[in-house]
Amino acid sequence: MRLLRRVVVVLVVALCVGVVIGYQSNRPAAATPDPVVFVPSPGFYRNFSPAVRTTLADVYWLYTIQYYGEHLNSDRRLDSLPAMVRLVTALSPHFTEAYFFGAFAMIDVGRPDVAYALLQDGFKANPDDWHFPFYLGFFAHTYASGAHKDQVASQWYADAARLPGAPPFVSRLAAELATKGSSKQTAIDLWTQVFGQGDKYAQQKAVAALDQLLPKDKVAREKAVAALRGTVSPAMFEQLVADLFQGYQ
Amino acid sequence: MKRVLAVGVNTFRETIRDRILGVIILFALAMIVASLWLASISLGQENRMIKDFGLVAISLFGLIVAVFVAASLVRKEVEKRTVFIIFSKPVSRAEFIWGKFLGLAATMFTVLAGMTVFLFVLAWIVARSPSGSLLVAGLLIYLELLVVMAMTMLFSTMTSAILASVWGICVYAAGQLSHNVLSLSKLGHSGVAHAMSLAVFYLVPNLSAVDIRAAVVGEGAVSWTSLAAWCVYLLAYLVIALVIATLIFRRKEF
Repeated sequence: MRLLRRVVVVLVVALCVGVVIGYQSNRPAAATPDPVVFVPSPGFYRNFSPAVRTTLADVYWLYTIQYYGEHLNSDRRLDSLPAMVRLVTALSPHFTEAYFFGAFAMIDVGRPDVAYALLQDGFKANPDDWHFPFYLGFFAHTYASGAHKDQVASQWYADAARLPGAPPFVSRLAAELATKGSSKQTAIDLWTQVFGQGDKYAQQKAVAALDQLLPKDKVAREKAVAALRGTVSPAMFEQLVADLFQGYQ
Repeated sequence: MKRVLAVGVNTFRETIRDRILGVIILFALAMIVASLWLASISLGQENRMIKDFGLVAISLFGLIVAVFVAASLVRKEVEKRTVFIIFSKPVSRAEFIWGKFLGLAATMFTVLAGMTVFLFVLAWIVARSPSGSLLVAGLLIYLELLVVMAMTMLFSTMTSAILASVWGICVYAAGQLSHNVLSLSKLGHSGVAHAMSLAVFYLVPNLSAVDIRAAVVGEGAVSWTSLAAWCVYLLAYLVIALVIATLIFRRKEF
């Protein structure tokens, strides 16, 4: 009798486990989420949750990354990304990486104007950080159009060079742009510096851009890359070489 | 003082033996480790995420320990009638309340110190450099929770343990929104509303005066002067709450 009772209990539990797993495994695969999502006003969070505002910024940061990844690999629509990045940076104005990520992500969807405005906001909130004028100069040179774009970029680099912590190459770039203007070599130099200064995400972008700009032939590429030695730290240069020669024998 | 310490040591032993405490600490440690997972999907922001979510976990689990243990501490003695044995000895009611508070404060210190050191080491491993501000943040969270504990003990002398816990959590939430009350008091033209908002502003402990979590993740610096002033304010608030709790407990008839 006791054995029978045990067998019944085990069977009931096994059945229940089967129902739970069966139900979950038959859920339909998630459809591509809507590119337009509700993003609350930064003012609301700033006023009503001062003690956890940075935590909320971090939660939205994770949400922003997830949103970016989901849409970049599917419909390539990032309609709500500017609002999301603005929410994160409004709650945490010194979260500099959020500005840089947002700026590069906006390029992916063809909105350099938003990227530029975002970096300008970041520079307003962090006026002592040379990275902002550095990236503003880079975006002005790489994505802007018009006759004066090199002058604007050069001015940004000159501004960056005046700020504490700016490495010497920034003033060299300012001078290079002011005298030579746009050229393929200038673009290579700029992207190399983005690789040297940026986070993982910016580095990925820089490698992709350099891959397009540099010659495809191995010997010619080696020569072009060798000329970049000394413009970034030795460790960064090694990493850049490894990334640029992936797939070459 | 000797009698207060004796009650305190006894309370510390009693609360530290509590199994529920162990479960909560385990959950808090799990939560801190979970922040590692969050950090791994944060696109290079591991250090920031671990510090921020880790401190939130410490605050929340510390709050649960503070509120639920503080609410039942005095009540349990009364309900189990052990309070009569204590008062048959030369222990005054004031010494009983202060001793209970000291004992629980020592328990809270042990709990929070454990969680903060764990987070500190975790952040050190991830960032490859120690962050002293985490230890300061842990200390400030402890001070905040002492105030909530004192308030919860005050409520527990007036009402049931469950209600005292709920009020304790409300005090913590209201304390985080303290500055909003001040903003509200400046709005509108009603003199009564203005006076009421001001009264609430002074009554509720200001737990949001120093944004320590933001400072730890690099959102602005906190001056030592404002930090010291806030600590003195919290200690003064705590003493007031305990004095009122003592006065109420003195008048209580069992």
